Amino acid sequence: MCNLPVHVSCRSNAEYMSPSGKVPFVHVGNQVVSELGPIVQFTKAKGHSLSDGLDDVQRAEMKAYMELVNNMLLTAELYIQWCDDTTATEISRPRYSSPYSWPLNQILAYQKQWEVRRKMNAIGWAGKSLEQVYEDVSQCCQALSQRLGTQPYFFNKQPTELDALVFGHLFTILTTRLTSDELGEKIKSYSNLLAFCRRIEQSYFEDSQAGSSSRGYSKGPSLF
Amino acid sequence: MAATMELRCWGGDWGLPSVHTESLIVLAYAKFSGATITVAPIDWTWKTLTGTVPELVYQGSTITEPAQILNFLRKQRFNADYELYLQPCGQIHHGLHALLEEKLRPALLHTFWVDAENYANLTRPWFASRSPFPLNFLVPGRHANTALSRILLTKGESPLHTITEVEGKIYSEAKECLNLLSHRLGMAYYFFGNTPCSLDAFVFGFVAPLHKASLPSSPLQSHLRQLDNLQRFCDHILNTIRVRYTFGSDYSSESF
Repeated sequence: MCNLPVHVSCRSNAEYMSPSGKVPFVHVGNQVVSELGPIVQFTKAKGHSLSDGLDDVQRAEMKAYMELVNNMLLTAELYIQWCDDTTATEISRPRYSSPYSWPLNQILAYQKQWEVRRKMNAIGWAGKSLEQVYEDVSQCCQALSQRLGTQPYFFNKQPTELDALVFGHLFTILTTRLTSDELGEKIKSYSNLLAFCRRIEQSYFEDSQAGSSSRGYSKGPSLF
Repeated sequence: MAATMELRCWGGDWGLPSVHTESLIVLAYAKFSGATITVAPIDWTWKTLTGTVPELVYQGSTITEPAQILNFLRKQRFNADYELYLQPCGQIHHGLHALLEEKLRPALLHTFWVDAENYANLTRPWFASRSPFPLNFLVPGRHANTALSRILLTKGESPLHTITEVEGKIYSEAKECLNLLSHRLGMAYYFFGNTPCSLDAFVFGFVAPLHKASLPSSPLQSHLRQLDNLQRFCDHILNTIRVRYTFGSDYSSESF
């Protein structure tokens, strides 16, 4: 969205290379910056920002919605992937352990699962049922859908960090194969959110996939 | 004749009907929506160890957690959120609620339960004095451990590993959150329109203990003292819920 040239490279030890232990991270010159918040601040310091046109009230609103997405969608994604036994056994653990050989793959997968479950326990999500989690996601999507309305982006004509964040989460949910399609269906029931994802995928990802391979995008999943 | 709803919560002090954030949220919302509830403090009972607080008991069923209790009250037609949903940007209350949980709660937990001076001089004596023997040795410690592990697990990701490193981060985020709330409130009495709604109850529940407790050391409380409108907001709501709650034990009913 900022029109910055970026080369995507997939590595199995990405989590360990990152300074905070989290992906994604960007490597620029001799600097390494990880996670959305710091990366946004880093690009802003270099003079590229998507939210310059917003006034203080809108910026505060954007922060609140970003927090909502992080709080609800991210936690729900982690819950469904790691705390739901069927999904964890059939999908998450095999996928997480695929780059490694035995016995490291088993150890790392179980360690990740244990870590996520501990965190869910601490914030009180461990007692929730899958139905309640789906309900929470639905409520979050409803709030986002109402805010988006019929506009192309959340803050009218220009995309902002919020658009990027929401697209990232919704696209992942819609294109990741899980044991049941219920989560994807819940999001598809909000037609403006689905249209929003398609529009962003078309504007920002289709062109580069069709065009030069020097951009470094591999042919990934698609909503089409 | 509607059956009475009974709320089990921690008792009150420092000018508040309850010192516990979640209980305050439910008490405030009940007043806003006009629901009559009987308050049954769990102080000096074994529920201090075994019970989940707050807990609403109605016709045999129990509901815990503020969000669930508020949903239940709405289903019973005690709804304070009509105006909220009429507003064009009413949905932002979800976002503000998420902000409170993510940014303000860790710092509040730290101020009351992890900060050594506050814990030793205020929190532990209060909770210990409200728990029966021998629970007074167990209850405060258990809450403090839960608080610490929650802060470390949610905020203490590498490279921040110890609580001292996390402290700086959570306090600066909490101050930002308070500033945002203050900015959003402006000169109004409530966050959305002229009547209080669920978000006002949540903000009140989070901010009131910080406003009223006499904490020996708190940079966050000093920061709150600079935000007049938030303090005015808390005092105004306290006056609004200044009613006689009937207590389920031998207390004489108190007004605040």
